[in-house]
Amino acid sequence: MGEKITFWYGCNVLRHGDIIHSCVDILRLLGFDAQPAGGPDYCCGGVKEANQMAADGMAHRTVSKFNELGGERLVAWCPSCHAHMRDFMGQAYKPEFSLSYFVDVLHEHRQALASLLKQPVPMRVLLHKHVGFNDYAHVNAKVPELLRLIPGMEVVEDGYCAPGYMCALLAAVPAAMGDMVRHTLRLAREHRADALVTVFHQCYRELCGLEPHAGTPVYNYVHLLARSMGLEHVDEYKEWKKAGANAGTLIGEARLDQVGIRFFERAMLPELVKRPAGLSNEEKK
Amino acid sequence: MASTAMPSGALQQFLRKETDRTLGACTKCGKCFEACPMTPYSAPLKNANPGAVATGILGLLRGEQGTAEALGWASVCVRSGACVPACPENVNPKMMMAIARITASGGLGGPKQTPVRQDRDFFDRIRAFGRLQLTEDELRDWT
Repeated sequence: MGEKITFWYGCNVLRHGDIIHSCVDILRLLGFDAQPAGGPDYCCGGVKEANQMAADGMAHRTVSKFNELGGERLVAWCPSCHAHMRDFMGQAYKPEFSLSYFVDVLHEHRQALASLLKQPVPMRVLLHKHVGFNDYAHVNAKVPELLRLIPGMEVVEDGYCAPGYMCALLAAVPAAMGDMVRHTLRLAREHRADALVTVFHQCYRELCGLEPHAGTPVYNYVHLLARSMGLEHVDEYKEWKKAGANAGTLIGEARLDQVGIRFFERAMLPELVKRPAGLSNEEKK
Repeated sequence: MASTAMPSGALQQFLRKETDRTLGACTKCGKCFEACPMTPYSAPLKNANPGAVATGILGLLRGEQGTAEALGWASVCVRSGACVPACPENVNPKMMMAIARITASGGLGGPKQTPVRQDRDFFDRIRAFGRLQLTEDELRDWT
Protein backbone atom coordinates (compact mmCIF):
# COMPACT_ATOMS: atom_id res chain seq x y z
CA MET A 1 0.00 0.00 0.00
CA GLY A 2 1.10 3.55 -0.69
CA GLU A 3 0.45 6.75 1.20
CA LYS A 4 -1.82 6.47 4.20
CA ILE A 5 -4.66 8.97 3.92
CA THR A 6 -7.96 9.71 5.61
CA PHE A 7 -10.79 10.01 3.12
CA TRP A 8 -13.07 12.60 4.73
CA TYR A 9 -16.25 12.08 2.80
CA GLY A 10 -18.49 14.41 4.82
CA CYS A 11 -22.04 13.96 6.14
CA ASN A 12 -24.72 14.31 3.51
CA VAL A 13 -23.04 11.99 1.03
CA LEU A 14 -24.10 9.11 3.29
CA ARG A 15 -27.25 9.26 1.14
CA HIS A 16 -25.10 8.00 -1.70
CA GLY A 17 -23.39 4.86 -0.43
CA ASP A 18 -22.40 4.03 -4.00
CA ILE A 19 -20.41 7.28 -4.31
CA ILE A 20 -18.57 6.60 -1.03
CA HIS A 21 -17.83 3.00 -2.03
CA SER A 22 -16.67 4.04 -5.50
CA CYS A 23 -14.37 6.77 -4.14
CA VAL A 24 -12.80 4.38 -1.65
CA ASP A 25 -12.28 1.77 -4.38
CA ILE A 26 -10.76 4.36 -6.73
CA LEU A 27 -8.35 5.66 -4.08
CA ARG A 28 -7.28 2.12 -3.16
CA LEU A 29 -6.87 1.12 -6.82
CA LEU A 30 -4.64 4.17 -7.21
CA GLY A 31 -2.48 2.75 -4.42
CA PHE A 32 -3.61 4.82 -1.44
CA ASP A 33 -4.09 3.24 1.96
CA ALA A 34 -7.39 5.07 2.40
CA GLN A 35 -9.34 5.05 5.65
CA PRO A 36 -12.82 6.58 5.23
CA ALA A 37 -14.17 8.89 7.93
CA GLY A 38 -17.42 10.82 7.86
CA GLY A 39 -20.97 11.15 9.05
CA PRO A 40 -22.25 13.42 11.81
CA ASP A 41 -19.36 12.47 14.16
CA TYR A 42 -16.95 14.13 11.71
CA CYS A 43 -19.24 17.00 10.72
CA CYS A 44 -17.54 20.31 9.92
CA GLY A 45 -20.32 22.23 11.68
CA GLY A 46 -21.02 24.35 8.63
CA VAL A 47 -24.72 23.58 8.94
CA LYS A 48 -24.82 25.22 12.37
CA GLU A 49 -24.79 28.76 11.02
CA ALA A 50 -27.45 29.84 13.50
CA ASN A 51 -25.69 28.29 16.51
CA GLN A 52 -22.01 29.11 16.61
CA MET A 53 -21.57 27.55 20.04
CA ALA A 54 -22.50 24.21 18.50
CA ALA A 55 -20.44 24.95 15.38
CA ASP A 56 -17.41 25.68 17.56
CA GLY A 57 -17.81 22.44 19.49
CA MET A 58 -18.06 20.47 16.27
CA ALA A 59 -15.06 22.23 14.72
CA HIS A 60 -12.98 21.58 17.87
CA ARG A 61 -14.05 17.94 18.00
CA THR A 62 -13.43 17.22 14.32
CA VAL A 63 -10.04 18.94 14.10
CA SER A 64 -8.98 17.17 17.32
CA LYS A 65 -10.03 13.76 15.97
CA PHE A 66 -8.08 14.26 12.77
CA ASN A 67 -5.06 15.59 14.68
CA GLU A 68 -5.05 12.41 16.74
CA LEU A 69 -4.47 10.42 13.54
CA GLY A 70 -0.91 11.71 13.61
CA GLY A 71 -0.58 14.00 10.63
CA GLU A 72 -2.17 11.82 7.97
CA ARG A 73 -3.21 13.75 4.88
CA LEU A 74 -6.92 14.41 4.74
CA VAL A 75 -8.56 14.04 1.34
CA ALA A 76 -11.95 15.73 1.34
CA TRP A 77 -14.85 14.76 -0.89
CA CYS A 78 -17.41 17.32 0.26
CA PRO A 79 -16.90 20.89 -1.01
CA SER A 80 -18.63 22.33 2.06
CA CYS A 81 -16.37 20.45 4.46
CA HIS A 82 -13.28 21.38 2.46
CA ALA A 83 -14.22 25.06 2.31
CA HIS A 84 -15.27 25.15 5.96
CA MET A 85 -11.99 23.57 7.03
CA ARG A 86 -10.01 26.06 4.96
CA ASP A 87 -12.00 29.18 5.85
CA PHE A 88 -13.14 28.59 9.44
CA MET A 89 -12.13 25.41 11.31
CA GLY A 90 -8.55 25.41 10.13
CA GLN A 91 -8.23 29.13 10.89
CA ALA A 92 -9.70 28.89 14.36
CA TYR A 93 -8.02 25.66 15.44
CA LYS A 94 -4.64 24.14 14.66
CA PRO A 95 -4.79 21.33 12.12
CA GLU A 96 -1.78 19.01 12.27
CA PHE A 97 -2.63 17.49 8.90
CA SER A 98 -2.61 18.64 5.30
CA LEU A 99 -5.83 18.92 3.33
CA SER A 100 -6.38 17.97 -0.30
CA TYR A 101 -9.52 17.89 -2.39
CA PHE A 102 -10.55 14.60 -4.01
CA VAL A 103 -10.64 16.00 -7.57
CA ASP A 104 -7.10 17.37 -7.15
CA VAL A 105 -5.85 13.97 -6.01
CA LEU A 106 -7.44 12.20 -8.99
CA HIS A 107 -6.05 14.84 -11.32
CA GLU A 108 -2.54 14.47 -9.88
CA HIS A 109 -2.81 10.73 -10.54
CA ARG A 110 -4.62 10.96 -13.87
CA GLN A 111 -2.10 8.82 -15.72
CA ALA A 112 -2.61 5.96 -13.31
CA LEU A 113 -6.35 6.61 -13.33
CA ALA A 114 -6.45 6.46 -17.14
CA SER A 115 -4.96 2.97 -17.08
CA LEU A 116 -7.86 1.81 -14.89
CA LEU A 117 -10.55 3.27 -17.15
CA LYS A 118 -10.87 0.31 -19.48
CA GLN A 119 -14.56 0.04 -20.26
CA PRO A 120 -15.96 2.47 -22.84
CA VAL A 121 -18.82 4.68 -21.72
CA PRO A 122 -20.13 6.10 -25.00
CA MET A 123 -21.91 9.23 -23.91
CA ARG A 124 -22.04 12.95 -24.69
CA VAL A 125 -22.37 14.77 -21.38
CA LEU A 126 -22.92 18.34 -20.24
CA LEU A 127 -21.02 19.28 -17.09
CA HIS A 128 -23.08 21.11 -14.47
CA LYS A 129 -20.74 23.76 -13.03
CA HIS A 130 -20.88 26.30 -10.22
CA VAL A 131 -18.74 29.38 -9.72
CA GLY A 132 -18.13 29.31 -5.98
CA PHE A 133 -15.89 26.33 -5.24
CA ASN A 134 -13.56 26.69 -8.19
CA ASP A 135 -11.35 29.05 -6.14
CA TYR A 136 -10.58 26.21 -3.71
CA ALA A 137 -9.94 23.54 -6.34
CA HIS A 138 -10.12 24.00 -10.10
CA VAL A 139 -12.91 21.49 -10.49
CA ASN A 140 -14.47 23.17 -13.53
CA ALA A 141 -11.35 22.44 -15.56
CA LYS A 142 -10.17 19.24 -13.90
CA VAL A 143 -13.41 17.22 -13.87
CA PRO A 144 -13.84 17.49 -17.67
CA GLU A 145 -10.21 16.39 -18.04
CA LEU A 146 -10.89 13.35 -15.86
CA LEU A 147 -14.08 12.50 -17.74
CA ARG A 148 -12.26 12.68 -21.08
CA LEU A 149 -9.97 9.89 -19.88
CA ILE A 150 -12.97 7.55 -20.18
CA PRO A 151 -13.05 5.78 -23.55
CA GLY A 152 -16.06 6.94 -25.56
CA MET A 153 -16.83 9.93 -23.36
CA GLU A 154 -17.49 13.30 -24.97
CA VAL A 155 -17.75 16.30 -22.64
CA VAL A 156 -19.63 19.39 -23.71
CA GLU A 157 -18.31 22.47 -21.96
CA ASP A 158 -20.61 25.41 -21.90
CA GLY A 159 -19.63 28.79 -20.52
CA TYR A 160 -22.54 28.78 -18.09
CA CYS A 161 -21.70 28.44 -14.40
CA ALA A 162 -24.53 28.42 -11.87
CA PRO A 163 -24.36 30.86 -8.93
CA GLY A 164 -23.19 29.54 -5.60
CA TYR A 165 -20.85 26.65 -5.05
CA MET A 166 -23.44 23.91 -5.07
CA CYS A 167 -27.15 23.34 -5.61
CA ALA A 168 -27.98 22.64 -1.97
CA LEU A 169 -27.47 26.33 -1.14
CA LEU A 170 -29.18 27.46 -4.32
CA ALA A 171 -32.23 25.34 -3.47
CA ALA A 172 -32.81 27.66 -0.51
CA VAL A 173 -33.57 30.41 -3.06
CA PRO A 174 -36.25 28.63 -5.15
CA ALA A 175 -36.49 31.32 -7.85
CA ALA A 176 -32.75 31.10 -8.49
CA MET A 177 -32.86 27.30 -8.44
CA GLY A 178 -35.73 27.35 -10.91
CA ASP A 179 -33.88 29.67 -13.29
CA MET A 180 -30.77 27.50 -13.07
CA VAL A 181 -32.72 24.27 -13.74
CA ARG A 182 -34.58 25.72 -16.72
CA HIS A 183 -31.37 27.12 -18.19
CA THR A 184 -29.47 23.89 -17.62
CA LEU A 185 -32.16 21.73 -19.24
CA ARG A 186 -32.26 24.14 -22.20
CA LEU A 187 -28.48 23.83 -22.58
CA ALA A 188 -28.66 20.04 -22.40
CA ARG A 189 -31.18 20.06 -25.24
CA GLU A 190 -29.24 22.62 -27.31
CA HIS A 191 -26.01 20.64 -26.97
CA ARG A 192 -27.85 17.35 -27.61
CA ALA A 193 -26.29 15.99 -24.43
CA ASP A 194 -27.10 12.41 -23.46
CA ALA A 195 -26.74 13.26 -19.80
CA LEU A 196 -26.05 15.94 -17.24
CA VAL A 197 -23.02 15.36 -14.97
CA THR A 198 -22.53 16.99 -11.59
CA VAL A 199 -19.29 17.63 -9.72
CA PHE A 200 -20.78 17.61 -6.21
CA HIS A 201 -23.11 15.18 -4.48
CA GLN A 202 -25.22 18.10 -3.23
CA CYS A 203 -26.02 18.99 -6.84
CA TYR A 204 -26.58 15.35 -7.69
CA ARG A 205 -29.01 14.96 -4.79
CA GLU A 206 -31.07 17.86 -6.13
CA LEU A 207 -30.78 17.26 -9.87
CA CYS A 208 -31.25 13.49 -10.05
CA GLY A 209 -34.90 14.30 -9.32
CA LEU A 210 -35.07 15.71 -12.86
CA GLU A 211 -34.39 12.39 -14.50
CA PRO A 212 -37.88 10.86 -14.40
CA HIS A 213 -39.47 14.11 -15.61
CA ALA A 214 -37.19 16.00 -17.99
CA GLY A 215 -35.86 13.00 -19.89
CA THR A 216 -32.27 13.90 -19.08
CA PRO A 217 -30.24 11.27 -17.21
CA VAL A 218 -28.16 12.73 -14.39
CA TYR A 219 -24.91 11.34 -12.97
CA ASN A 220 -22.12 12.39 -10.70
CA TYR A 221 -18.73 12.23 -12.41
CA VAL A 222 -17.66 9.48 -10.00
CA HIS A 223 -20.49 7.28 -11.30
CA LEU A 224 -18.99 7.45 -14.78
CA LEU A 225 -15.39 6.87 -13.63
CA ALA A 226 -16.60 3.88 -11.62
CA ARG A 227 -18.56 2.48 -14.55
CA SER A 228 -15.50 2.68 -16.79
CA MET A 229 -13.43 0.93 -14.10
CA GLY A 230 -15.95 -1.89 -13.89
CA LEU A 231 -17.01 -1.00 -10.35
CA GLU A 232 -20.60 -2.00 -9.79
CA HIS A 233 -21.98 -0.11 -6.83
CA VAL A 234 -25.70 0.40 -7.30
CA ASP A 235 -27.01 3.97 -7.21
CA GLU A 236 -29.92 3.25 -4.92
CA TYR A 237 -30.62 6.89 -4.06
CA LYS A 238 -31.49 7.68 -7.67
CA GLU A 239 -33.78 4.65 -7.86
CA TRP A 240 -35.52 5.74 -4.66
CA LYS A 241 -35.81 9.28 -5.96
CA LYS A 242 -37.28 8.06 -9.24
CA ALA A 243 -39.74 5.89 -7.34
CA GLY A 244 -40.80 8.90 -5.25
CA ALA A 245 -43.75 8.00 -3.05
CA ASN A 246 -43.12 4.29 -3.76
CA ALA A 247 -39.49 4.37 -2.63
CA GLY A 248 -40.31 2.29 0.45
CA THR A 249 -41.16 -0.68 -1.74
CA LEU A 250 -37.68 -0.61 -3.29
CA ILE A 251 -35.97 -0.21 0.08
CA GLY A 252 -37.84 -3.19 1.43
CA GLU A 253 -39.40 -4.03 4.75
CA ALA A 254 -36.25 -5.35 6.39
CA ARG A 255 -34.26 -2.18 5.81
CA LEU A 256 -37.18 0.09 6.63
CA ASP A 257 -37.40 -1.68 9.98
CA GLN A 258 -33.75 -0.73 10.61
CA VAL A 259 -34.53 2.98 10.39
CA GLY A 260 -38.13 2.79 11.61
CA ILE A 261 -41.06 3.17 9.26
CA ARG A 262 -42.43 6.23 11.03
CA PHE A 263 -39.07 7.97 10.87
CA PHE A 264 -38.74 7.02 7.19
CA GLU A 265 -42.14 8.48 6.36
CA ARG A 266 -41.60 11.65 8.38
CA ALA A 267 -37.96 12.45 7.74
CA MET A 268 -36.73 10.62 4.64
CA LEU A 269 -39.60 10.14 2.21
CA PRO A 270 -40.34 13.88 1.72
CA GLU A 271 -36.94 14.49 0.13
CA LEU A 272 -37.35 11.45 -2.13
CA VAL A 273 -40.68 12.80 -3.35
CA LYS A 274 -39.39 16.38 -3.74
CA ARG A 275 -38.51 17.59 -7.23
CA PRO A 276 -36.24 20.52 -8.07
CA ALA A 277 -37.75 23.93 -8.73
CA GLY A 278 -37.91 24.84 -12.40
CA LEU A 279 -39.82 21.86 -13.81
CA SER A 280 -42.98 22.85 -15.61
CA ASN A 281 -46.27 21.34 -14.47
CA GLU A 282 -46.26 19.30 -17.68
CA GLU A 283 -42.79 17.93 -16.91
CA LYS A 284 -43.75 17.10 -13.31
CA LYS A 285 -46.47 14.69 -14.49
CA MET B 1 -1.13 15.37 21.93
CA ALA B 2 -1.20 19.05 21.09
CA SER B 3 -4.77 18.64 19.88
CA THR B 4 -6.14 17.80 23.32
CA ALA B 5 -4.72 21.09 24.63
CA MET B 6 -6.69 23.20 22.17
CA PRO B 7 -9.10 25.40 24.09
CA SER B 8 -12.63 25.58 22.71
CA GLY B 9 -14.25 28.87 21.74
CA ALA B 10 -11.67 29.60 19.05
CA LEU B 11 -14.26 29.76 16.28
CA GLN B 12 -16.12 32.66 17.88
CA GLN B 13 -12.78 34.38 18.53
CA PHE B 14 -11.87 33.96 14.88
CA LEU B 15 -15.23 35.40 13.81
CA ARG B 16 -14.76 38.41 16.08
CA LYS B 17 -11.28 39.01 14.64
CA GLU B 18 -12.60 38.80 11.08
CA THR B 19 -15.48 41.11 11.98
CA ASP B 20 -13.07 43.73 13.34
CA ARG B 21 -10.82 43.37 10.29
CA THR B 22 -13.79 43.83 7.93
CA LEU B 23 -15.18 46.82 9.82
CA GLY B 24 -11.76 48.45 9.69
CA ALA B 25 -11.07 47.81 6.02
CA CYS B 26 -14.41 48.17 4.23
CA THR B 27 -14.99 51.56 2.59
CA LYS B 28 -18.67 50.80 1.73
CA CYS B 29 -18.03 51.32 -1.97
CA GLY B 30 -20.57 48.61 -2.83
CA LYS B 31 -18.49 46.92 -5.53
CA CYS B 32 -19.15 43.57 -3.86
CA PHE B 33 -22.89 44.09 -4.16
CA GLU B 34 -22.61 45.12 -7.81
CA ALA B 35 -20.75 41.88 -8.62
CA CYS B 36 -23.24 39.57 -6.91
CA PRO B 37 -25.26 37.32 -9.27
CA MET B 38 -27.99 36.77 -6.65
CA THR B 39 -29.31 40.30 -6.16
CA PRO B 40 -32.25 39.85 -8.59
CA TYR B 41 -33.67 37.24 -6.22
CA SER B 42 -34.41 39.55 -3.30
CA ALA B 43 -37.24 42.09 -3.58
CA PRO B 44 -35.72 44.71 -1.22
CA LEU B 45 -32.64 44.84 -3.45
CA LYS B 46 -34.50 46.20 -6.47
CA ASN B 47 -32.90 49.58 -7.29
CA ALA B 48 -30.92 49.41 -4.04
CA ASN B 49 -27.93 51.68 -3.60
CA PRO B 50 -24.82 49.42 -3.45
CA GLY B 51 -23.02 51.58 -0.90
CA ALA B 52 -26.09 51.69 1.32
CA VAL B 53 -26.46 47.90 1.18
CA ALA B 54 -22.80 47.48 2.16
CA THR B 55 -23.31 49.98 5.00
CA GLY B 56 -26.25 47.87 6.19
CA ILE B 57 -24.11 44.73 6.14
CA LEU B 58 -21.50 46.44 8.32
CA GLY B 59 -24.30 47.42 10.68
CA LEU B 60 -25.27 43.75 10.96
CA LEU B 61 -21.65 42.92 11.77
CA ARG B 62 -21.76 45.49 14.58
CA GLY B 63 -24.83 43.74 15.99
CA GLU B 64 -27.32 46.40 14.88
CA GLN B 65 -30.79 45.79 13.51
CA GLY B 66 -30.29 45.01 9.83
CA THR B 67 -31.79 47.15 7.11
CA ALA B 68 -34.25 45.42 4.77
CA GLU B 69 -31.62 45.56 2.04
CA ALA B 70 -28.85 44.07 4.20
CA LEU B 71 -31.08 41.25 5.45
CA GLY B 72 -32.34 40.66 1.90
CA TRP B 73 -28.82 40.37 0.53
CA ALA B 74 -27.63 38.13 3.36
CA SER B 75 -30.64 35.85 2.78
CA VAL B 76 -29.79 35.15 -0.86
CA CYS B 77 -26.02 34.78 -0.49
CA VAL B 78 -25.05 31.33 -1.82
CA ARG B 79 -21.27 31.87 -1.62
CA SER B 80 -20.69 32.46 -5.32
CA GLY B 81 -17.56 34.39 -4.43
CA ALA B 82 -18.00 36.85 -7.33
CA CYS B 83 -17.63 39.60 -4.74
CA VAL B 84 -14.08 38.62 -3.77
CA PRO B 85 -12.17 39.84 -6.84
CA ALA B 86 -14.52 42.86 -7.07
CA CYS B 87 -13.35 44.25 -3.73
CA PRO B 88 -10.70 46.96 -4.14
CA GLU B 89 -9.76 46.83 -0.44
CA ASN B 90 -9.00 43.11 0.00
CA VAL B 91 -11.81 42.79 2.55
CA ASN B 92 -12.95 39.27 1.51
CA PRO B 93 -16.63 40.09 1.11
CA LYS B 94 -17.49 36.37 1.02
CA MET B 95 -16.31 36.10 4.62
CA MET B 96 -18.10 39.37 5.41
CA MET B 97 -21.36 37.94 4.08
CA ALA B 98 -20.84 34.65 5.90
CA ILE B 99 -20.50 36.51 9.20
CA ALA B 100 -23.45 38.74 8.31
CA ARG B 101 -25.60 35.63 7.76
CA ILE B 102 -24.39 34.12 11.04
CA THR B 103 -25.18 37.32 12.90
CA ALA B 104 -28.57 37.82 11.23
CA SER B 105 -29.58 34.25 12.10
CA GLY B 106 -28.74 34.82 15.77
CA GLY B 107 -25.76 32.49 15.56
CA LEU B 108 -23.63 34.63 17.86
CA GLY B 109 -26.34 35.07 20.45
CA GLY B 110 -28.09 38.18 19.16
CA PRO B 111 -31.69 38.39 17.94
CA LYS B 112 -32.78 36.24 15.00
CA GLN B 113 -33.38 38.70 12.17
CA THR B 114 -33.70 36.17 9.36
CA PRO B 115 -35.80 32.99 9.35
CA VAL B 116 -33.86 29.97 10.56
CA ARG B 117 -34.87 26.58 9.23
CA GLN B 118 -35.30 24.17 12.12
CA ASP B 119 -34.65 20.58 11.06
CA ARG B 120 -34.63 18.34 14.10
CA ASP B 121 -34.05 15.27 11.93
CA PHE B 122 -31.03 16.62 10.04
CA PHE B 123 -28.35 14.33 11.47
CA ASP B 124 -30.64 11.37 12.17
CA ARG B 125 -31.75 11.45 8.53
CA ILE B 126 -28.12 11.27 7.39
CA ARG B 127 -27.44 8.38 9.77
CA ALA B 128 -30.55 6.57 8.54
CA PHE B 129 -29.56 6.87 4.87
CA GLY B 130 -26.15 5.53 5.89
CA ARG B 131 -27.71 2.56 7.67
CA LEU B 132 -29.61 1.68 4.49
CA GLN B 133 -26.45 1.49 2.39
CA LEU B 134 -23.38 0.75 4.52
CA THR B 135 -22.60 -2.56 6.19
CA GLU B 136 -22.39 -2.90 9.97
CA ASP B 137 -18.59 -3.05 9.71
CA GLU B 138 -18.46 0.06 7.55
CA LEU B 139 -20.75 1.95 9.91
CA ARG B 140 -18.48 1.02 12.82
CA ASP B 141 -15.18 1.78 11.07
CA TRP B 142 -16.08 4.61 8.68
CA THR B 143 -18.44 6.82 10.69
